[in-house]
Amino acid sequence: MKLCTLLTDSYWVFWREMKRLLVQRARIAIAGIQPLIWLILMGNAMGGLTANPATYRLLGTENYLEFMTPGIMIMSTLFGGIFGGISVIWDRRTGFLNKMLAAPIKRAAIPVGKITAITLQSAFQVTFIAAIAAAMGVKFATGVPGFFLILCIMILFSYGIAGVSLALASVLRSHEALMAVTNLLTLPMVFASNAIFPREAMPAWLKAIATYNPLTYAVTPLRTLVLEGWVWEKIWPGLLAMGFFAAAAVAISARQFARSEV
Amino acid sequence: MPPVIEAEGLTRVFPGHIVAVDRVSFAVEQGEIFGFLGPNGAGKSTTIMMLTTLLRPTAGTARVAGFDVVRQPERVRASLGYVSQDLAVDDNLTGIENLTLQARLYHLPRQEARRRIAEVLQLVGLAHRARDRVETYSGGMRKRLDIAAGLLHRPKVLFLDEPTLGLDIQTRREIWRYVRDLRANTGMTVFLTTHYMEEADVLCDRVAIIDRGQIKAVGRPSELKAGLGGDVITLRLAGTPSAQRVTSALRGIPFVADVRFYEGEYVVTARDGEKTLPLVFEALQRVGEQIVAVTLKQPSLDDVYLAITGRGLRDDTEGREDAIRHRIRMRRIRA
Ligand SMILES: Nc1ncnc2c1ncn2[C@@H]1O[C@H](COP(=O)(O)OP(=O)(O)O)[C@@H](O)[C@H]1O
Ligand SMILES: [Mg+2]
Repeated sequence: MKLCTLLTDSYWVFWREMKRLLVQRARIAIAGIQPLIWLILMGNAMGGLTANPATYRLLGTENYLEFMTPGIMIMSTLFGGIFGGISVIWDRRTGFLNKMLAAPIKRAAIPVGKITAITLQSAFQVTFIAAIAAAMGVKFATGVPGFFLILCIMILFSYGIAGVSLALASVLRSHEALMAVTNLLTLPMVFASNAIFPREAMPAWLKAIATYNPLTYAVTPLRTLVLEGWVWEKIWPGLLAMGFFAAAAVAISARQFARSEV
Repeated sequence: MPPVIEAEGLTRVFPGHIVAVDRVSFAVEQGEIFGFLGPNGAGKSTTIMMLTTLLRPTAGTARVAGFDVVRQPERVRASLGYVSQDLAVDDNLTGIENLTLQARLYHLPRQEARRRIAEVLQLVGLAHRARDRVETYSGGMRKRLDIAAGLLHRPKVLFLDEPTLGLDIQTRREIWRYVRDLRANTGMTVFLTTHYMEEADVLCDRVAIIDRGQIKAVGRPSELKAGLGGDVITLRLAGTPSAQRVTSALRGIPFVADVRFYEGEYVVTARDGEKTLPLVFEALQRVGEQIVAVTLKQPSLDDVYLAITGRGLRDDTEGREDAIRHRIRMRRIRA
């Protein structure tokens, strides 16, 4: 019964977020254009790399775009999720957050609904990226079923990242503070992972960091599914890690909003 | 019947030893329109937020509709409607969508929700604009929509935090009328805060005067004004004479109950203003002061406030975050 209320309350929070998104057309356009730019830039700028046999060995493919597609999926999901907390801060300033908090809803529905809305957007983006990449000649080693597993991993990753962002936003009460913290986190997270550069090409210390970076756990199974095939021993650790990350982050943000004062 | 709202020693201390609400006790009866009157920073919103379970009291207790705000927050939330001072409607949604969301958050059955949405839209006069996006509404329309949302689930108690803040006087009167009609038609209890003395005077059955977190007086507006003991004479003098000398000269007049110096003016409370006026002229002439301007009027709640607290209702203090929220609110309300 309680779970049912949580789900319906979350749905209506989600419903509002989606309505807002559909009204703000510019946000939709940017969500589509951004990965497109990345794909085109990365594909062309770095394309020359693979002419070198050494980089071919490191990347595991002749096509740099094939190497980068999972990285771009992850980065767009990362950026979509990490700024999710901003909507909480905005709601706080317009008073809408208090309006929801004063209503007899399960308060956990607020983060769950918002995170779900962010994740749905990311899922659309990932699908869009896959379609464009395929059109640009990227071959997915595991085909359509592999893509669905990629989508599942990205959904879990998005729940995790957006959960972290909302939990942060419930503590940091200004845009500036949230931006500062997310900026501090995101780019180092990207560079200290195998999203853009193969781990094999890194110095030892960076390699060590990259090995434990949550981003690496998301990239490795994706890259395996795109470049190699159903190599399960490279897929399941990442899948498991993402499941755990998502559950933990959502639980933490839910707890944050269920406090007596938010 | 037990009171609908009951506060006992309600206190809230913010970090930095800011005592926003200081041992406040009061009771509001079924069907009353009860107002908190005080300037910015007096602790009005903090009190409302404790009563609506948004803030936890540091000390003291409060019951709303018979439920304890700390121990039974869910029951309290289900019993109340809250219209914050923030104009908390979503500009990106239409009027109907805002109300639909509100109905869902209060778990109204669909049929019932549809009927009541039509009903409240009628009540606040927004039926013709219900399908437009709120972005296109004026400040007054947004506020009416916000109030409509607060009414939708027919709460036992409606909390209105500064319901007419920043609105022009015409819209303000309209909102007063809605609130009064509402009480007349539904018998709903209304708790509101304001720093407009006219609002407290016209709208409230009873008013609590709140200053720096404390309740200084509670009563019907007419009682509070009568309690001042007469009329109010306001004097402006030439030059800058010693306030102490002038005050003691005025206090010597038989009818005078109280004299205060505030913002360059002497505010004299006197039992019979018309008879006192010539005596005031005489007394000031004796001490060699020249009057530049003088008014005589019936006391207002402003005068009550000044007499009780020694300060006016316009003394503002705002933190940074408050200021940002205030700017956002003002931009939206004037849109
Ligand atoms: N979250 C907060 N943290 C610290 N101080 C606060 C907070 N909220 C309000 N205050 C302070 O408490 C006092 C009362 O504020 P408030 O209840 O908003 O007054 P009012 O609604 O009467 O204008 C003010 O001095 C204000 O700065
Ligand atoms: Mg206030």
